[in-house]
This record gives sequence, structure tokens and C-alpha cells, in this order.
Amino acid sequence: MLHFILRRLAVAVPTLLVIATLAFTLLHATPGGPFDSAKHMPAAILKSIEAQYHLDEPLWRQYLRYLGDLLHGDLGPSFQYRNTSVNELVRVGFPVDVLIGGVALLAALLVGGALGLLAAVRRDTAWDYLPMLAASLGVAVPVFVVAPLLILVFAVQLHWLPSGDWRWGEPRYLILPVTALALPYTAYIARMTRGAAIEVLTSPYIRTARAKGLPPGTILLRHALRPVLMPLVSFLGPAFAGVLTGSIIVESVFGLPGIGRYFLVGAINRDYTLVVGITVLYGALIIVFNLFADLCYAWLDPRVRLPR
Amino acid sequence: MPRTLDPSLLTDVYGQYLTDDLSEGLTTLGVDGSPVPGVASAWETSVDAKEWVFHLRPEARWSNGDPVTAADFLYAWHRTLDPKTGSEYAQALSPIVGALAIATGKAAADTLGVSAPDEHTIRIQLVAPTPYLLALLADSFMQPEHRATIERYGDDWTRPGHMVSDGPFVLRELIIGDRITLAKNEHYWNASAVHPTRVVYYPLDQITQVSRYLAGDIQFADDFPSEQFRYLKGLLGTQVQTAPQLAIDQLGFNMLGAPFAANRNLRLALTMAVDREVLANKVRQGAEFPAYTLVPPLPGYTPALPEWASWSDERRHREARRLYAAAGYSREHPLRVQLDYDTSESSRDMFDAVAAMWRTNLGAEVEPYNEEFRVLLQDLRLHKSLLFSDDWTGDYPDPYTFLQLYETGFDENFGGASDPEFDTLLRTATNESDVAHRYADFTRAEARLNDDAVYIPYLYRADRHLIKPYLKGWQLNVLDRIPSRYLYVLEHAGN
Repeated sequence: MLHFILRRLAVAVPTLLVIATLAFTLLHATPGGPFDSAKHMPAAILKSIEAQYHLDEPLWRQYLRYLGDLLHGDLGPSFQYRNTSVNELVRVGFPVDVLIGGVALLAALLVGGALGLLAAVRRDTAWDYLPMLAASLGVAVPVFVVAPLLILVFAVQLHWLPSGDWRWGEPRYLILPVTALALPYTAYIARMTRGAAIEVLTSPYIRTARAKGLPPGTILLRHALRPVLMPLVSFLGPAFAGVLTGSIIVESVFGLPGIGRYFLVGAINRDYTLVVGITVLYGALIIVFNLFADLCYAWLDPRVRLPR
Repeated sequence: MPRTLDPSLLTDVYGQYLTDDLSEGLTTLGVDGSPVPGVASAWETSVDAKEWVFHLRPEARWSNGDPVTAADFLYAWHRTLDPKTGSEYAQALSPIVGALAIATGKAAADTLGVSAPDEHTIRIQLVAPTPYLLALLADSFMQPEHRATIERYGDDWTRPGHMVSDGPFVLRELIIGDRITLAKNEHYWNASAVHPTRVVYYPLDQITQVSRYLAGDIQFADDFPSEQFRYLKGLLGTQVQTAPQLAIDQLGFNMLGAPFAANRNLRLALTMAVDREVLANKVRQGAEFPAYTLVPPLPGYTPALPEWASWSDERRHREARRLYAAAGYSREHPLRVQLDYDTSESSRDMFDAVAAMWRTNLGAEVEPYNEEFRVLLQDLRLHKSLLFSDDWTGDYPDPYTFLQLYETGFDENFGGASDPEFDTLLRTATNESDVAHRYADFTRAEARLNDDAVYIPYLYRADRHLIKPYLKGWQLNVLDRIPSRYLYVLEHAGN
């Protein structure tokens, strides 16, 4: 197990290196630079700015410098926010994303899982049809439609919740963004759980359990739950990546101070360090989450053996 | 989010708004955006209008209680001009003798035409008469800076707790990506005239501002999508406020080669075939204003409207068709050209409409083609585009900030237009010390530009704001700057 984790982490390093290199190269290959502006700047000043950010060096040296800093955990200075480092932007913004994304994913798992199970157990009743209809809608309607709708209903019309903004420790600021972010995953997870549960519940060993006279609750929780969770766990990796990108939209709609917004604006403004830094961070997170999903998988299904 | 709060470094309008609240220059903004006495209580100018003497009020204070002196201004201006500082707007100081040479690294800092005979006097020498100097002095790049603070904290001097400023407000809180909170500066010399005790800025995009405003979470929305104009107007009535901005939306021709350079008839046909009223009232839903000439409305200035601006659509189209034919094109042999513009949803609607007008009115086949802003900018600097969108925001309330766009060799003269006569008119105007004469020369230059049809002006952009009925103390202006100090809130029920 430890061996497996270590090996996966060892592979992660070259993967991240490739991600950083690709992001760095692509960004620098895009026409236009971070200090281009519609208004002309004297060459002496542009030169001085470029020297401050080492943009006057040959690209390979900038690349090596960047990698060297990266190895020390230094993501470099932001180009668009002068006097601000990418590390600082991440330090301020990332906890917001972790909280929103984490709560959204957890909520999606709990609510989606419960609805899916319910639908499977009460198959072909209103308990099945209604949640599944809602789930189809949830999967189909994108975040950028759901989020403004939530604001319109709960902030503009009803005045129950704030239309955006962020205060640490005040959950009411969390509710709408988390709902918007969690809805499509809740829907997806509900459908997946239902499918898996129906398959498991009609399998021979459950029939055996029923024949032995075990109560339905015990069958569901003791015997059926584990195999039902399996496809969910494999979905967690991609879901996590989706939550990260989804949070970019949620952040802009609600005006939250997460890093997703910088990512978007950074790409437009050619903020090289910021975009490469956040890309690497996202890459690292997805690797860690996939590893976590694999570990859960092995724990849930004894037939899965982790390669040594 | 402003890129920085350092007045020497900031370039965005957002930073300018914050500077208007945090800082005070020799002049400052009146409620209508025009310059009024700031740290300087009085000034006089020489007969040739090239030398100005400013008298600083002795009671002016920094937010830490230090007196504001002439040295604080000189320090800031030198810092802005020093290429080592890397100020992207340094050349905005170029009306001052020696400034451009210093900014370009060609002259030493002590050659700047500014001196301080004593602590409370500043003498400024100008290259040419600059009637808009008083407006410039209220801009971010002319603000005084607190030397001890900058030397102590370096790059971190603009953080809350560090920043020392001399305006009506001080920086209280800055949460990157979320909000910036300002509190009243109790040391400000005119603090009793400052209404709000606290101002909170939220850096939000247009759509988010609208939802926050509708939810009652903010009292002033700086902007909203122009395509929501009619909807919001119906919903909010007079809370929706628009006024022309110091900005022009125009199309540029490449004047360095075929098909436009040697074909005035073609250029004139294209500009006359554009129905500005439709663009302003249909495409922009009345949120912007039709433009027939370059310079937006400026007090005291008579714009050089072309004669055809007042013609009926039918007459204008007929003449455009005649010119199009005279230019050697017809429906059988149409002009085929690509119109380059920078990516945005609202500009796509705009240029689809313009291309449709050209197709209907002339039979020309113009293909709108969008590129990312920085990509387009690179193409423009290399003069690769033949027909392109070229929006321009003026730097100061004076026709020159627009007319210079077509001066030979000007950096942002992307079409490469060159007319010696036009250049001469501009030079004469800029050396004129009498404002009326100066403006008359500018009008003549503008008329020449229109006569030659080297560009297609089509819209004046507008400030678009949502303002709660109980928020008072503002007046929309071409600079689109609304200082917070004059704002006050009437007693009201609900939000």
C-alpha cells in the first residue's frame, strides 16, 4: 500500500513537470505579452518592467528560472497584479475554493447517493420518477444558468440570502454558491447510484440474503452499499476536476475571492506565472484526488489489488 | 480588481476611481468631474500659458498627520518618470518640460521643468500651452506620494496599515478578489466636507453587479451589459443613468496600401453607408450615442460634423452607392474584406450589423473576424489589418487626445494615416495659448480628417450606472469619475 502510494507520487512529479512545461510553452507562444497595452509605452520603461520580471531573458532561461522557483514552492510574481506574488493570490483564494468545492462535493455525495438509493429501492414509483426527472434536469442545465437563477430567486426576489460576496465563518454566504456547484453532481451521482443499486439489488447474493430472511435495512446497508459505492468512487476523480473548473463560473457569478477568477482573467492578460502556477496546482490536486479514489476503490472491493 | 493602488504604477480606471478617493493632487475633482482646488488653493499662469505657479495650502495633511509639501509632489513625479519604476503611464507627464526625455532614459532626473521655490509653492514649466493641465493634475500619475512610507515598505507600501495617503479616505481593508474598504481620513484638511464614513468597492463583472444591485446588496453599480439596457430601464426607471463618455468606437482603414489607401470614394462610401442611429438605438438599445465625428461632446468645443450627418437615410445611401460605384465596385464586383475586431459578445452583434448594412446598402462583402485583444493589438502594431475596430478612450478632456490618433507617426495611428496639412493644423493648435483659437484649429483639423474619411466613427460610448434613488451627491461626467466624498444617502425605507 505505502509502496503503491509512493510510486504514484513519484510518477506525479514528471507529470507535473510536463503540465508546467506545456502551460509555460503554450502561454509564451500566444501572441501578445503581459505589458502590451492599447497605449504606447516608451521603450526604456517597457525594458525596465521586463527586466523586473526577467522577461528580457531568453525563453529557455526564463523556463529554467521558473522551474527552479517552482521546485522551491515559489510560483513567482503575478504580472497583472503588480507587487503581488502568485503564492499570495493562491494563499488568499485557494481556501475559499477548497471550502466551496469540498462542501459541494460532500453535499452531492450525500444527497445524490440518498436520492439514488431511494429511487432504486422504490423503483417505478413517484419516489423514483420525481428525483430522476429532477436529476435529468440537473445534469442538463449548466452552472452558468443555475447560478444566476438561484440569485434571482433567493437573493433578488425573496431576499433570503446574499447575492454574493464572502465572509469567513458565515455559512449563509456559502449556501447559494455551493448549491449551484453541487446541483449537477448531485444529479449525476443520484442517477449513477440508482443504476448501480438496481443492479446490485437484483443480483443473486442479495436474493440469497433476502431468502435467509434478513431485514431490508440490513441488506441495504450491510450487503448492498459497498458495491453501490464503487462506481461513485471512480467518478470522484473527474468530479473533483469538474468542481474546480465549475468553481471558475460560480466564483465570477457570485463574485467570490477564489482563484478560479484569476485563472480566467490571467489567461486573457497573459499573466504567465499566475496561469502556469494555478494549472500546476490544479494538476497536483487532480493527481492526489485520483490516488485517493484508487485507494478507496481497493478498500471497498477486496478483488482490486493495488499493483506493487 | 485594480492591478495596484500605487499611483505611479496604476493604469486601469478602477485604480483611478480609488485614487480619486484616497489621494488628492494639486487639483482634485469637483462633483461634476471638473478640476477644483485640491492641495493647491490658488495658482497663476504666465502670459504665454507655459509656466504655472501653484500655491499649496499649509493645512494639507497626510493620513498620518504629516504636512503635505511641494517635495511630496516632486518626489512622486520623479518616481513616476524614473524608468526604473516601470510606470506604464509615465509619458502622461510629457506636457512638462523634460518629462519625456527622462521617461525615455535620455535625460537626467534633474532636467524636469518643475521646481519648488519653497515648501508651499510649485512652479511647472510646460512644453506647450496645456489648457487641460488642471485636469491632468487630478489624475493618478500626478498625485503626491509619501516618501518615508515608500522607502520603509518598498513594494508593500500600498497595503492596508502601511499606505499613507492625503485624500478624503484611507485604505482600511483589501481582500484580493473580493472587496476594498476605505474609511474617512480624519487628517484630511477638508474632512468636514466629506460625507461618507466608509466606502466599499467590489470588483465585479457587469452581470454580477446587476444581480448584487437588484438584491439591494450594493447601492451603485458601475456598469451593466448594454444588452440589458431596455430591460433594466423598464424595471428601474431613473435608477438607470447613462451619459456620453470621453471615448469613441470607430473603425480604422489601413492607409498604407490597397484597397483603401488611394480610394477616398470607397472610404467615404463605407462610412456613409453605416446607419449610426440603428447601431445606437437598436443594437445598443439606446445605451450609447451615434457618432459622426471623432471628438466626443466637450464643453466649449464645436465638433466638425460632416454635412451628410444630417441627411435622410435614403439620400445618404444613394450618395454612398454613387461613391461606391465611382470607387470601382459594384454588386457584381463587390469589395471583399475582413473586418478585424477584438473578441466579445457585444462587439459581434455590432459588427454583424455593420456588415449587414454594407451588404444591403452597397453590396460589399465584409466578413467580421474576431481575435483576442492582445492578438489584434499585435496585428495592428504591424499594420497587418486592412479594416479594423479601433476604440479609443481619451486621457484628458481635450480634442487633442483624440485627434493625435491620426497624427503622422503617432504610436496608435494603426492605419498609418498621414496628412501634412492635418499635422500642421494640430501643431498650430497645440502651440496656441488662447483656448478659443486652439479649439477652432482643432475643429479645422477634425473637418479635414472627416473630409478625407480616413476612419469610420460610429458610436460614443456611455457611462452606464445603476444608482439607488436615495443615493445623492453625484453628477455624471465625460471622465466617468464620481468621487465618493460628495455622496450621501437620504433616509429611506427598504433597499
